[in-house]
Amino acid sequence: MRRLGLLVAKDLRLLLRDRAGLVFLGLAPIVVITVAGLSLANLYGSDPTGQSAYELPLVDEDGGPLAREIARRLEAEPALRVEPLASREEAERWVRDRKRAGTALVIPRGFEAALRAGEPVSLVLYTDAVKYLERLNVRLRLGQIRDALAAEQREAAEREAQAKRDALHLQLSGLQTAFEQARKEASTEAEQARERALASARREAEAARRATQERVDRAMAAARAELAKSVDAELAALRAPLRGYLDLVAERRRAFEAWLAEIQRKAGSHAAEIPPPPSFPELPPELAQLLAEGSAPALPPLPALDVALPELSLPPLPEPPPLTVPSLALPELPGPPGELRIEEVDVSGAGATLNTFDQNVPGFSVTFLLLGMLLGVSMGLLDERDWGTFDRLRSLPVGLGSVLAGKLLARFAVGVAQMLLLFAVGRAAFGVSLGPQPWALVLPIAGIAFAGAAFGLVVAAVAPSRESVLPVGSAVVVSMAAMGGCWWPIDLEPRWMRRVALAFPTTWAMDAFNDLMIRRRDVSRALVPTAVMTGYGLLYLAVGIALFRRRVERAP
Amino acid sequence: MRLPFAEPTASADKMTVRVEQLGVRYGERWAVRDLSFELAAGEVVALLGPNGAGKTSTLSVLATLRRPDAGSASVGGFDVASQPERAKQKLGFVPQSVALYPTLSALENARFFARAAGLARGPARAAADQALATVGLSERRDDAVATFSGGMRRRLNLACGLLHAPAVLLLDEPTVGVDPQSRERIFDAVRSYAQGGAAVLFSTHYIEEAELLCDRVLLIDEGRLLAEGTPAALIRRARGGLRLELATREPLPHGWERGLSGVEPAEPPPDSVGLGHRVRLHIEEPAAAARVLERVAALGHAVLELEVRPPGLQQVFLELTGRELRD
Repeated sequence: MRRLGLLVAKDLRLLLRDRAGLVFLGLAPIVVITVAGLSLANLYGSDPTGQSAYELPLVDEDGGPLAREIARRLEAEPALRVEPLASREEAERWVRDRKRAGTALVIPRGFEAALRAGEPVSLVLYTDAVKYLERLNVRLRLGQIRDALAAEQREAAEREAQAKRDALHLQLSGLQTAFEQARKEASTEAEQARERALASARREAEAARRATQERVDRAMAAARAELAKSVDAELAALRAPLRGYLDLVAERRRAFEAWLAEIQRKAGSHAAEIPPPPSFPELPPELAQLLAEGSAPALPPLPALDVALPELSLPPLPEPPPLTVPSLALPELPGPPGELRIEEVDVSGAGATLNTFDQNVPGFSVTFLLLGMLLGVSMGLLDERDWGTFDRLRSLPVGLGSVLAGKLLARFAVGVAQMLLLFAVGRAAFGVSLGPQPWALVLPIAGIAFAGAAFGLVVAAVAPSRESVLPVGSAVVVSMAAMGGCWWPIDLEPRWMRRVALAFPTTWAMDAFNDLMIRRRDVSRALVPTAVMTGYGLLYLAVGIALFRRRVERAP
Repeated sequence: MRLPFAEPTASADKMTVRVEQLGVRYGERWAVRDLSFELAAGEVVALLGPNGAGKTSTLSVLATLRRPDAGSASVGGFDVASQPERAKQKLGFVPQSVALYPTLSALENARFFARAAGLARGPARAAADQALATVGLSERRDDAVATFSGGMRRRLNLACGLLHAPAVLLLDEPTVGVDPQSRERIFDAVRSYAQGGAAVLFSTHYIEEAELLCDRVLLIDEGRLLAEGTPAALIRRARGGLRLELATREPLPHGWERGLSGVEPAEPPPDSVGLGHRVRLHIEEPAAAARVLERVAALGHAVLELEVRPPGLQQVFLELTGRELRD
């Protein structure tokens, strides 16, 4: 282990002395990533720096608000740089002759008026068929703006129609209310008139009744006086005999009482045994009052003769006919024809637009990692062989395995550091996403660094000479990188190529990086790719050691 | 001169390197075949032979870089095929190429290889400092190897093979492309190290190096051992007399040397060597050279260059293989 550390330290020291190697490992990939990222930005539809925006000449013949809105939205697109032009001819020259743009947009005169009139109208796009990608990008963005504007216009029209419907409904409702109010007022007026007439009639009837009542009362009073006079006369005739009888009875009562007192006196001691005599009845007070002089029995009152008027009433007024405003059920507006939209739902977890560097930073980092392994492991081993240090080390108690392990371990560490550096630069300079778990990137980084280092050993074992390392190795590395999706999205490749690419660790590395960085998945998505890369690394290692040992042992 | 940092571990077995019936094959071609030799502690031995003779293959087996296809080899008593890790503890290998990291400094290279050889941090620092001082690179210790001359790199290359004081030092063409000054420093270091008890085996195709530096020479060609012995003993095996090489502006006519006493034609030199048209002759005595010059003058040719040498390993190899070492 001590000697392994010694060999690793030696290789790292050699690398530190190799300025060209350091530039290749650090600066060169940054330059290539920057150039490639900016060059390919439009492939991904997003360039965070705005450096690669397409120039889009725009001729606004209409000049209306809608045309201005289209222009404004185009100018807001980071992938486009709108260049207002005065005429179609100038726009054609930009596309055809000067080749400054792959497309030019003309908004024809009367564009908005025709639209408002419901007439078909077109935006005119001058194109250069050679600039296919630019044309697609411009069409895509123009289509998006058109869809958005159409949707907004449709919604605005619907809102306007609804507002008019609501206003009409409001007016109808007001009319109905006014009608109802008028009806109520008319009814009230009639009722009040009726009440007034009734009250007047009642007053007159009451006056007549009162006069009649007075006459009746006077006639009744006269009749009652005549009757009382007659009764008094008859009572006076009866009162004298009755008084006489009552005086006799009183006298006899006194005589009886005297008699009784005599009896009792004579009875002596037995007087107490004599039962009391029955008492004489008292004169009833009514009779006593009747016998009083001048009093006459009150005559029973005469029945009151009230003159009553029948209750005056007026027949109820007829209800005014209901003034019903016919309910104007407004028919639903036909509205514009149904709109066919495409709803894009990203189920991968990625954002709507990709940062070109999210693809290019890991892709070119992997590429340069592998190229670095060619230089570091393959050419490093062949350098040692050519220098003679390899034989010298083998003649020492170090061993072939330690020499190879030291070289691979050193380059593995350098590769991991290189990838981390490039990712850090990508993050700082280009804002690449490192995903929700940046630490998880260490797994595929370690996997591809291991596989790359082991692959470098294979190249060192099969390359016939130092000079052949780059032609042989770089051809394989470039193929693996390209097919593995390091330079462009692997989905651009045909299906068979994608299947073939599964045989390369680059494919698995990019799969893991895309999952972690772009699709923002968790570390679990990196486990299988890392395991596969490790498997490839072990395979390369076994093959590389076997071939290299064979080569060393057969060397002259 | 003794190297202060290197105290080689002497083996109990005097023969610290033993190679028996070694065979190394690349495909159907045998680069080394039936090669056997031994090295004793403190001995400096050269594997001398032309390019492709099997020197590097032999050293590769001994350095445990490849397994032998036939035979066996051991270092410090440990078989390089079955006990390579034990054998590595005993050997120090200096590859033919400058096995250094060019962007690291001399000190960083030395410290790294010292640690890789198993020294702890402190001893590794001390060994590195001393090694750099020994090969005369202390003042440039912090400079990147890429800024060094070829000779300085070769010196550092050697120093990095000595850091852990191996009992056996294997040098593969250690002086290729170096200046005379650096070569002398390297020789001094190797001699000093061997005097410390280490066995040194180095491959070379420079005859002079073998003659100057080695206690013993293993002369090999096409993977086989042709001859073995001290340089003097090998030279004695060569044909007697002197060797004359002559250069003229125009080619001499066929048979021009006939009739000259004590003179016999030798193998023609390589076309690319030297100026003008060159011929080689065996002469029995120095006076025969004068006769040769007279004959050439009589034929109307001007002599551009004349060299008379005693016999050496080159001649030994020539006689054994019919080819020159430099072919």
